[in-house]
Amino acid sequence: MSDVPDPKAPSKPEPSSGPETGSPPGQAGEPAAANKAGSWGAALLTTFTTVFLAELGDKTQLAALLLAAQSGRPAIVFVGASLALISSSLVGVLLGRWLAKVLPPQQLERLAGLLMVGLGLWLGRQAVLNLAPLPDGLPLG
Amino acid sequence: MDLALLTSTYATVFLAELGDKTQLAIVTISGTSPRPLAVFLGSSLALVLASLLGAAAGGSLSTVIPTNGLQLAASLGFLIIGIRLIVRSGPIKGSGEPTDL
Repeated sequence: MSDVPDPKAPSKPEPSSGPETGSPPGQAGEPAAANKAGSWGAALLTTFTTVFLAELGDKTQLAALLLAAQSGRPAIVFVGASLALISSSLVGVLLGRWLAKVLPPQQLERLAGLLMVGLGLWLGRQAVLNLAPLPDGLPLG
Repeated sequence: MDLALLTSTYATVFLAELGDKTQLAIVTISGTSPRPLAVFLGSSLALVLASLLGAAAGGSLSTVIPTNGLQLAASLGFLIIGIRLIVRSGPIKGSGEPTDL
């Protein structure tokens, strides 16, 4: 019973699987290097889809539209808005990494999951209310 | 004049975006994903593309694109990601590898 290898033990690097082509050997922090490229693309695609869908028709666009209409120079407005959005997503990513350092992963995942569910419910409620507006006088929101 | 317009656009959009649901989503995805660079690139691309659509289409965007339907789809995506995170953080162990986001 005791000679069963512990699956949690860090396994030695197998000689059959050579080093990844073109990747520096300094990236030893990730044990699961097999699906590295796949999950990288998946993370990119997931983030893109979620943010893009959530952002369409949002207040950022309203602000950009207003500025573009007032100034008549949409190119400059677009550059400024893009820089601001890139900055804000950088702030978000850095905040997330900081939280991942100070919180235990399980607790962080639970909190993040609850936050995402809350955001989803709120976003869905707004979309539904816009699609089918309630009559006035209802004590909602 | 151009610099003033650029600066005012930057400040307006940046302040409007702070604490927005999109940034909360980025914080969530970044905190739970081991790929911060991919998250940053994906969110930046999405935000820039969405604002390009907004600037290009002018005021007629909501007549071209069913934004409310898309937001409904986004809310479903939020719910799915959130439920997956909660399930993954739960006490269920030994049920295979945790799914990547």
